[in-house]
Amino acid sequence: MNHTDRSEGGPRPTAASPSTERRQTIVFDAVSVVREGRTVLDGLSLTLTERRIGIVGRNGSGKSTLLKSLIGLVAPTEGTIIVDGRDSITDARAIRAVTGFLFQNPDNQIVFPIVAEDLAFGLKNHGFDRAQTAARVDAALDRLDIRALGRRRIHELSGGEKQLVALAGVLALGPKTVLFDEPTSQLDLHNRNRFRAVLAAMPEQAVVVAHDLELLDDFDRVLVIDAGRIVADDRPSRALALYRERSA
Amino acid sequence: MIGGIGADGASPLHRLPAGSKLAGLAVIATALFFVDVPAVLAIAAVIGGAAMLSTGRAPARLARDLALPGLAVVLVGLADVLLVDAATALVAVLRLAALLFFAQAVTLTTSTGELADTLERALVPFDRLGLLDAPRVALTLTLAIRFVPLIGAEIAAIREAQAVRGLAGHPVALAVPLIVRILVRAEEIADAIDARGFPPPRGPGILADRAAPSPAVPSEDLPHDHP
Repeated sequence: MNHTDRSEGGPRPTAASPSTERRQTIVFDAVSVVREGRTVLDGLSLTLTERRIGIVGRNGSGKSTLLKSLIGLVAPTEGTIIVDGRDSITDARAIRAVTGFLFQNPDNQIVFPIVAEDLAFGLKNHGFDRAQTAARVDAALDRLDIRALGRRRIHELSGGEKQLVALAGVLALGPKTVLFDEPTSQLDLHNRNRFRAVLAAMPEQAVVVAHDLELLDDFDRVLVIDAGRIVADDRPSRALALYRERSA
Repeated sequence: MIGGIGADGASPLHRLPAGSKLAGLAVIATALFFVDVPAVLAIAAVIGGAAMLSTGRAPARLARDLALPGLAVVLVGLADVLLVDAATALVAVLRLAALLFFAQAVTLTTSTGELADTLERALVPFDRLGLLDAPRVALTLTLAIRFVPLIGAEIAAIREAQAVRGLAGHPVALAVPLIVRILVRAEEIADAIDARGFPPPRGPGILADRAAPSPAVPSEDLPHDHP
């Protein structure tokens, strides 16, 4: 059974991948999540393979739960989620090694008070030695052009800088996929634009929950979720138009 | 004091290994509690003060760092004067001041990562006996250092909001939203820590540098050329 309502035309085929592009196949098979008697996800079945996937919906519609369930932070009450052949619960650790998660509030994601130490935290957890960790921390900081922040204290950074540091911590692991939970909701216009540019340049697959609809304009596929069901699954122009219509 | 942890610098204390500094601090702290000669304690306090100043942190910032713990020392001294006598108060104040100065010198020159790693290594024997989980204890220390200032900021924000509503100084109006915010934050922090792969895989190499990636991560999925 498929709750998706993929309209004629469907998501456009993904453009030819650059050699550095990395992605996974994510399969939801009749996934339901019930929490405290409330159905948060309701029998979702879908396959995600595109490089850029957006998820929109009202507050409380199940977007963040869907995202968290991908890496086993939320267990399905029914059904299974398979990420590149691995079960989201029994193989959560292996999935998390190649699937990063950027939370809405970077302050809750950053564990160490110094930027470089925080980037090293995830690497240490995944078994990298000191030399590998140092090299990866530097490379991740360079990649986002924030090397100057390496020795800075987190509490001295702006919101935009914290978001980039949190993203650098994710990218340092070299994920195939990055999951973003409303990544621009706490950013000003300048930092939103900066974040968009970073996202556009990322070769990794990205699944993005957003209220900032412009962020999803050039995505490959957008899901509209309402009351735990996918009510639209289409290219951005169609899916976002439907979402705007439903939200009017 | 938390704000000053791991301040940048190149003093001799910065260059000392974290384990040596923490071991030295433990020895000094223990020794101080076997000494009750005011002159000796005063010398210790002076040496501790010198160590603190050698870190290169500006005296004004040191004064700010030590304001709260210093107040606690003064209160202890006052209580001793009132309840015991002035000589006992002098010994207590000198002892605590010396300890405070040495501890500040160590925390200023040791990063949170070094502190956590050292603590984790020190707790390995207890971990092996199954008495505790060393990585979790080290993470708890890190989280306390990282998030106590954030909770301070939450308190300030709630006080401001309640003052606008005419509830300034009302303890319940502060406590209830603070507890709710802390619980909500704690849930997301726990998720974030899980998402970042904690706890590290256990095994012989639990605390040693690992030459090879964790076997928990399929080798074909490990990143290669760039992060």
